[in-house]
Amino acid sequence: MRHRLRDPITGLLFVLPMLVLFLMFRIFPTLGAAGMSLTNWNIGGEWSFTGADNYVRLVNDPNFWSSLRVTLVYTAIYVPLVVLVSLGTALLLNAVVFLRGLFRGILFLPYVTSFVFAGIIWRWIYEIDGLLNGLLAKIDIGTVAFMERADLVLPALAVVSCWKGFGYSMLILLAGLKAIPGTYLEAATVDGASAWQRFRSITLPLLKPALFFVLVIETISSFQVFDTIYVMTGGGPAKASYTLIYGIFERGFRFWEFGYAATWGMVLFAVVLVVALIQRRIVGKEDT
Amino acid sequence: MTLTATRPAARAGRAAAPRRPARGRARKWALYALLSVMSLLTLGPFIAMIIVALSPRGAPTVPVQWPDALTFDNITQILGASGFIEWTLNSLIYSVVSVVIILLTASMAGYAFAKKRFPGRDAMLWTFIATMMVPFQATLIPLYVLVSDLGGADTFWGLIVPTLANSQAVFLMRQFIMGLPDELFDAAKVDGASELRVYWTIVVPLTKPILATLGVFVFLWHWNDFLWPLVISQSDATRTLTVGLTVLKTEELQWATLMSSAAVSAVPCLVVFFLLQRYLVNSIAMTGLK
Repeated sequence: MRHRLRDPITGLLFVLPMLVLFLMFRIFPTLGAAGMSLTNWNIGGEWSFTGADNYVRLVNDPNFWSSLRVTLVYTAIYVPLVVLVSLGTALLLNAVVFLRGLFRGILFLPYVTSFVFAGIIWRWIYEIDGLLNGLLAKIDIGTVAFMERADLVLPALAVVSCWKGFGYSMLILLAGLKAIPGTYLEAATVDGASAWQRFRSITLPLLKPALFFVLVIETISSFQVFDTIYVMTGGGPAKASYTLIYGIFERGFRFWEFGYAATWGMVLFAVVLVVALIQRRIVGKEDT
Repeated sequence: MTLTATRPAARAGRAAAPRRPARGRARKWALYALLSVMSLLTLGPFIAMIIVALSPRGAPTVPVQWPDALTFDNITQILGASGFIEWTLNSLIYSVVSVVIILLTASMAGYAFAKKRFPGRDAMLWTFIATMMVPFQATLIPLYVLVSDLGGADTFWGLIVPTLANSQAVFLMRQFIMGLPDELFDAAKVDGASELRVYWTIVVPLTKPILATLGVFVFLWHWNDFLWPLVISQSDATRTLTVGLTVLKTEELQWATLMSSAAVSAVPCLVVFFLLQRYLVNSIAMTGLK
């Protein structure tokens, strides 16, 4: 049994390239982030251990609290919006046969483009002399400065992310809908259930796993929004779109305070971890 | 609902009377009307972008009025500008090199995790999967410090190598290879095939469909990637197209030029989309790759 001995060595050799990449560029920086957040590391590379100083500074930093609030408000706008749009379009696609592939393709199209691409187009759409205001003028509604109003900038950004990203969630939900046995709905129809009743008591409960997956994926992606903000608002107006990630970027690459920026990163990590743990908790319960 | 449309035979077999056709037809029209509205909202920004990109610079265009004539001047001007071509080539290098190396390393690792026994295998796999929980942005600062200390700032290796550690790819390959029958590998070993030969003549050909899917996704991820190139590329020498577009946006005041650049930047993604749409769509539904 020569290959009994051969297996462990070749196994390790086959994993080795990826393992080295992982240790260096995933694991080491993850541990490094925790370590760095306890130092005053700066651009020159000099650092000394400062204990919890960065964390004390963080909780006393109004910018941090405002960025956390902005991130959560954005999540609260984006997640319901994208779930609603992707569920709606998935239901529509599932209900038609003729031209379904064409519609599915069109609705999925923006997903393959970049957020930078989406940001540039939508920045123009939201301009004072842009597409949206042009259309609003045609129906005699005055111009709206979407990018300059603190109350409109987050919904406007959420619409861009939704436009670019809903195709993914739509496909996940469409696959979920297709997995629902047709006989269930048929039987309910025969029993005289209305379309709404069928949706409420058959489709929705059976779609729950797919819906839950979409909810978690979209929540986590909403915490990580950055590209569109960088392109469209730069965190403005008056920090109304200054998210956690934008804070990490600005602290790190505008002020070059690496230690403090890593501390902001740790908060992002904690927030994503909490969502993941809640997800595990709920999914775990469903399984038993 | 769907059933009346997709399964007329099943319905005919039942005693249930067919519903009033007029109502069914109205419902169908409503469904298609809604789908058309959603499609228009999705396509609208693309169409508007193309019109602005093809309008003469400074001339009135949508939404004020339709342009009098369309022109390719903006596009040729963009393609003639030195930066743009360089950024495009950089994006191409970033994406293609990443695709090749990730497919190779991830399928090798996936094969070992699926079919080999070696000490620490399960612990390693779980560590790989656990790192998916750590958002990239949370490790951005230490990663940047590490790579620039190693001399990787503004170099291609500094741009590419850190993005190759991709746990999604490893996990996907492992899941797929686990489904291949063990007998295949045993037979090859009995025949005395070397391990590399087994990998190259059994694993690679049999995983072609999943390798193709993964390749498309890795290409799109890298072509559209922004934050890492933004911090690590500091000059046109390694700047990718997404970063270049944002540089252009701060310098360029003409929307016609910006829209042309954006439009050209999306061409590879759109080509991938039109060639492989069905493939992409199916693999998202099956694997959840994002």
